[in-house]
Amino acid sequence: MKEYIKTGLILMIYCAVAGLALGLVYQITKDRIALTEVQEKLGAVEQVLKDESGNYIVSLDQLRSAVAKVDQKVEVIFENEKGKVFSPVYEFDSEFGKVYVLTGSSLGYGGPVTVVACFIKKPEGFSLFSLKVTDFSQETPGLGAKIGDPEVQKRFYPMEASALKNGVRVDKDANLTQLSAQEAKEQGVAKVSDVMTGATITPRAVANALNAMLDYLSGVKR
Amino acid sequence: MSRMKEFTKGFFKENATYVQVLGMCPTLAVTTSAINGFGMGLAATAVLTLSNIVISSIRKGVPAKIRIPIFITVIATFVTIVDLLMHAFTYSLWKALGIFIPLIVVNCIIMGRAEAYASKNDVLNSMLDGLGVGLGFTASLVLLGSIREILGNGTIFGVRLWSGFNVFAMILPPGAYMTLGLLAALFTAIGLKRKRGEQK
Repeated sequence: MKEYIKTGLILMIYCAVAGLALGLVYQITKDRIALTEVQEKLGAVEQVLKDESGNYIVSLDQLRSAVAKVDQKVEVIFENEKGKVFSPVYEFDSEFGKVYVLTGSSLGYGGPVTVVACFIKKPEGFSLFSLKVTDFSQETPGLGAKIGDPEVQKRFYPMEASALKNGVRVDKDANLTQLSAQEAKEQGVAKVSDVMTGATITPRAVANALNAMLDYLSGVKR
Repeated sequence: MSRMKEFTKGFFKENATYVQVLGMCPTLAVTTSAINGFGMGLAATAVLTLSNIVISSIRKGVPAKIRIPIFITVIATFVTIVDLLMHAFTYSLWKALGIFIPLIVVNCIIMGRAEAYASKNDVLNSMLDGLGVGLGFTASLVLLGSIREILGNGTIFGVRLWSGFNVFAMILPPGAYMTLGLLAALFTAIGLKRKRGEQK
């Protein structure tokens, strides 16, 4: 009995010291971690609010005050069979109409593929203004990870509201591989078969994440 | 064994990856690129060196019956510290390595060195052992990751060497197994040759 108590006490001391050390490092790093996460998020949000010539469609002041106002807690706020949408959702006023920036994800080849996308509300629906794939770390380098290339991401946007009536599809799923990238966009299709040969699952995940966002927007922000 | 030999044995003679065939799970999974291998190797080296130092310094106060839970506690603490530090200061690398950082806790190289070496030797030798084995592990991962990245993607550390000729299979699991097998065979062959040379 005495032996058990002794070993138990020794183990407890080691655990207490380990806990103390971890608490200390956590205290030192927690602000920095929060800052890094917010910077990453803010960077992606800023990027999807830029047009082709690099100008923001909403003012940076508006963006910063919106980011400061919104609770940064990340939670699943919408889920369909193929994708998820996370909080926070940013809403801005612009000369083009109401602008929404959302974060969504869907399952790629190795894990979740996360997308930050900017939609503009139009009378006929929501148009996709821009997007950034922020997390594709579980995708295969050289194959699925090519989704990180901005030129590949541009194959998804801009898409008019009329083209998005049936959601976004990749050209292989839509059987429209013969179309040019621009022609495909007019039909809500991202032509990626030429730039992501042999890796359809990853761009399909981007399309699924966008469709989840569109479902969320048409349900909530109608 | 001299201090220098304690340090250098991990690079070739007792190389964890190709000679002792330890830590295969992260080795096969993260070496899709050279930079991933480098990051994973350095993270493991930091944990290995620090845990070796601590385990060696507390070895006399650790009852034999509960040595394994204590070693695991020490290792898990350092892994969590490394994870927090990487999350705070090297965000993109932390994201790229994903689940493999927390999994360093169960990397058998670290547990193996704690049990087989650090718990029986002094602090300085244990530190050199941890540093040498860790850097040997890093070099092995970088070698494996470089070969897979060059042949599979035409790049090295993200710098393009050529385009148009890529063997996709090299980045996929078969490429990892084939490259690892061939490198292990090479290390074994060189080791045997050295041994014969020493015997003569």
